[in-house]
Amino acid sequence: MNAEQKRAWLGVVTGIACVVGYVALVPFLGPMAATGAFGLYGINGFAGFIGRKERADERDRSIARRATLGGAMASYMAFILGCMGTWFIAFAWLGKEQVSVHLLGTITFVGGIVFYSVRSTVVLVLYGRHMEADNA
Amino acid sequence: MPEIINLIRRLRFDNGEMTQEALAVRVGVTRQTIIALEAGKYTPSLALAFRIARAFNKRVEDVFQYEVPIKE
Repeated sequence: MNAEQKRAWLGVVTGIACVVGYVALVPFLGPMAATGAFGLYGINGFAGFIGRKERADERDRSIARRATLGGAMASYMAFILGCMGTWFIAFAWLGKEQVSVHLLGTITFVGGIVFYSVRSTVVLVLYGRHMEADNA
Repeated sequence: MPEIINLIRRLRFDNGEMTQEALAVRVGVTRQTIIALEAGKYTPSLALAFRIARAFNKRVEDVFQYEVPIKE
């Protein structure tokens, strides 16, 4: 397992921890305050210390580029769907003409988590396909 | 869909049973990249293809070949 895979695993694990933490805190703190669980994603910052001296070759860079593109696309989609979905739920279902401004920060943060989680997953999937060759 | 096939594995054995690690060091990539190349899971850049060919004292077209699969 190379440094990029280790960083990807950290991204996946912290992403899952965020979701689990949020779901666990909602009954006690409510849906808005429970977003504090997203702070767990800060652990992902330690990824910068993993494999700093490890050399990446062109295949590693190619995988990283494809994963980043996938993450960015998913993040953008999550952000737009989050924004539009919020308005749709507020107007069409709840009959409200206003939504809390705090939701924008939450949607942005979710977009960030989606970016790193999808990027990490794509990295693991692409390396996994190449590892099939290693095990063959 | 057209595919690039390569003879890296055979050329390694023809060159004193060169290990994947030795070839990887020689052309400046990781061993995993050589594994992926041999298995046809990764198509190298032109620069890497030239470095691999040079490692075997061959021309690029002697190592990599363009093959169009026959349509069924």
